[in-house]
Amino acid sequence: MSSTAMKKKVLLMGKSGSGKTSMRSIIFANYIARDTRRLGATISTSGNLETAFSLLFCFVFATVDVEHSHVRFLGNLVLNLWDCGGQDTFMENYFTSQRDNIFRNVEVLIYVFDVESRELEKDMHYYQSCLEAILQNSPDAKVFCLVHKMDLVQEDQRDLIFKEREEDLKRLSRPLACTCFRTSIWDETLYKAWSSIVYQLIPNVQQLESNLRNFAQIIEADEVLLFERATFLVISHYQCKEQRDAHRFEKISNIIKQFKLSCSKLAASFQSMEVRNTNFAAFIDVFTSNTYVMVIMSDPSIPSAATLINIRNARKHFEKLERVDGPKHSLHMRMR
Amino acid sequence: TILQASQDANRFMPPSPIGEITGHFNAFIFNVAVLLRRSFLPRPFHVEPRNIVDEASQGRVSAEASALSSRVHYYGRLTASSDRLLAPPDHVIPPAEELYVYSPLGTAFKVKGKESPVKNPSIVTIFAIWNTMMGTSILSIPWGMKQAGFTFGIIILVSVGLLTLYCCYRILKSTKSIPYIDTSDWEFPDICKYYFGAFGQWSSLFFSLVSLIGAMVVYWVLMSNFLFNTGKFIYNYAHDVNMSDTDFGTNGSDRVICPFPESDHGGNCSIGAFYVSNNATQPTVFDQWWSKTNTIPFYLVILLLPLLNFRSASFFARFTFLGTLSVVYLITLVTIKAIRLGFHLEFHWFESTAFFVPEFRPLFAQFTGVLTLAFFIHNCIITLMKNNKHQENNVRDLSLAYLLVGLTYLYVGVMIFAAFPSPPLSKECIEPNFLDNFPSSDVLVFVARAFLLFQMTTVYPLLGYLVRVQVMGQLFGKHYPSFFHVFTLNIVIVGIGVLMAKFYPNIGSIIRYSGATCGMTLVFVFPSLVHMISLKRSGELRWPSALFHSLLIILGIANLIGQFFM
Repeated sequence: MSSTAMKKKVLLMGKSGSGKTSMRSIIFANYIARDTRRLGATISTSGNLETAFSLLFCFVFATVDVEHSHVRFLGNLVLNLWDCGGQDTFMENYFTSQRDNIFRNVEVLIYVFDVESRELEKDMHYYQSCLEAILQNSPDAKVFCLVHKMDLVQEDQRDLIFKEREEDLKRLSRPLACTCFRTSIWDETLYKAWSSIVYQLIPNVQQLESNLRNFAQIIEADEVLLFERATFLVISHYQCKEQRDAHRFEKISNIIKQFKLSCSKLAASFQSMEVRNTNFAAFIDVFTSNTYVMVIMSDPSIPSAATLINIRNARKHFEKLERVDGPKHSLHMRMR
Repeated sequence: TILQASQDANRFMPPSPIGEITGHFNAFIFNVAVLLRRSFLPRPFHVEPRNIVDEASQGRVSAEASALSSRVHYYGRLTASSDRLLAPPDHVIPPAEELYVYSPLGTAFKVKGKESPVKNPSIVTIFAIWNTMMGTSILSIPWGMKQAGFTFGIIILVSVGLLTLYCCYRILKSTKSIPYIDTSDWEFPDICKYYFGAFGQWSSLFFSLVSLIGAMVVYWVLMSNFLFNTGKFIYNYAHDVNMSDTDFGTNGSDRVICPFPESDHGGNCSIGAFYVSNNATQPTVFDQWWSKTNTIPFYLVILLLPLLNFRSASFFARFTFLGTLSVVYLITLVTIKAIRLGFHLEFHWFESTAFFVPEFRPLFAQFTGVLTLAFFIHNCIITLMKNNKHQENNVRDLSLAYLLVGLTYLYVGVMIFAAFPSPPLSKECIEPNFLDNFPSSDVLVFVARAFLLFQMTTVYPLLGYLVRVQVMGQLFGKHYPSFFHVFTLNIVIVGIGVLMAKFYPNIGSIIRYSGATCGMTLVFVFPSLVHMISLKRSGELRWPSALFHSLLIILGIANLIGQFFM
């Protein structure tokens, strides 16, 4: 099978109840349907249910534990969610028989650890078995570890605990290199961690950044942001002066994702937006196949048409950049 | 500016004259609109900082709070409204003092934390514990000391104080040893339920009720007593009757009486000098209608039963300061009496004499029973300590509170015992309620009795409310199922009080039996068992600790058994 035809995967794995579904829902703006989540929880966290009962459940609702989302991520990456070690007997068997399928063609492995978990040994054991599978089937994959639910740890202990975990994980992951982040859905760490992950996945991101800087300086924008298309995670940005609000990226991302959710209710899709005020003008528009751009002009007297034309012209330039240096992203398949 | 903009735009604009003109025109219109808008239209929903009501505090929305707000808005769109999956947990929400409610009309109100716990400094917590523990058992401490012997009594007071303090400390720590569950609003019965299941829940509830109902019965007896004496004082004062000869007691201005000389001496009374037979006086009409055991308990029913049926007891909670005042007054009274009467102490170690009791007596179990109730706070210590500002000082504050309580009891006990005029009267005369040793004509004591009567009238409905909440809550799920249920419960409680007041008004015995019963479980057995079980579960149970705690359990059970045999 040729690699261009096979979709590359992003694996989001972790113990059941570690927060993967919530994380995916928040990052990708997916509505969490109550039933699947509850069913999933019933099956995955059912350590005490008899195997027979859970087997029955799984045969009937076989797709619940295995979440194949249709979220396209960074072009043609597909996100897969897997519960690791939810039910010791059943999942292990299922896991090992399907292992090669699961771990083939993986671009990124994101493993989620619950910081409050009382079974550290078990967690590490499952993590190592995933790494073994990765080494066998997709040795070039990038590995990221998220130590999640850090808001449950006392503030003064967070750094210490994270450092400990990071050391253990880095040691366990050899020869693969893993990057660790500490996250919580209740502060900015989740957004920043995923932004870093996406940043590392963009093929020629430094070049993109320098071009972005030139673009911004030419059109005399206050700030220019480059977002990933599916998640509105900020890939890179340029600002010509200090901005007050350090959380503005996440807030913009949240606002746009809420707007996208509203649009989807009308079966409409979001393409571009212009916001004007006496103090500024902001433009959000499609940029390349994987990105959105947000341009902020503090001089509102510049007509919108001017900026939009500038963006349109820049778009062609950036698409060329992507095409030239990014062989992995098969833009040939993009039909517009 | 228009020109400059268009010049810049020219760099990227395709050279089209129509495009240029349109661009210029657009810009011009836009700027006119901007100008107009600035002059005439107000900005909507803009809240000036100075309009914030109730706190001229500075800045207002912190960066973290605004980011959190943005997150909460967004996450709310991702789940159904009833789904709690992405609802912000409590530890993530800013505290109440940082929350504002913005009204579109232009003002912002600070959120008054409705249920936010008021964090008290240590001194307030210590005082609250002292205040709660100081009960009517202070009146029985001299009697208890007499039952145990003076030296032995002091030793027992200190030991029981330390033991109950240790068990209280165990209870405080018991919430911390429960893993995975949020025990922040648990009380000790909940912990018993966790460890012992339904048996633990019901038994801790039952024994807690024993202490409460025991206290209510004691209150009824005491209130009858005080009402009787107050009424008698007023009657004698009004009718100028001199009662000084009818009771056996000392002479002089600071009269101390011995109300039941025969029973105190076991019938072997060889001191007949000051004994005046009571048979000489005929009971007057007043005495018939105003009798301590026959009529007054019933009069109290008319006064107190309606108060018990109130739905909410918060009105009575305002009067808790009276309890403090009454204890302070009692201490002052005791000091004055001791100064006036002087000390009368003789140390006979093991044999009793005509006027004195031995220092070590076999009846000491009665004193331990009284002290178990005197130092009893174990059913509400967790709630009291919860609002301590510096939680790390909980143990220190608890110890200080116990020290203060112990010192208060010790002071009252020692003073009354030592000052009791022993040459004419025997120490055996000390009554379970030491105020009974003063005649009803004594003004200072009259004030004490009246004050205590009033204070008890305000505490009694509170106790009744606590009993009602626990019983009704457990049996029926609601605090006030119907008037009929509550009324029945109140009738039962009042009935027990009236019966006790009529047939067995010995508060010393009531206190020691109820104290030993509820103390056995809630003070000694359950805290020790809980501690040993939690240590066993985490595999840290060592034999010295197991031995010590088993000893505590045995002590608690022996305490109760001793009440029946000594």
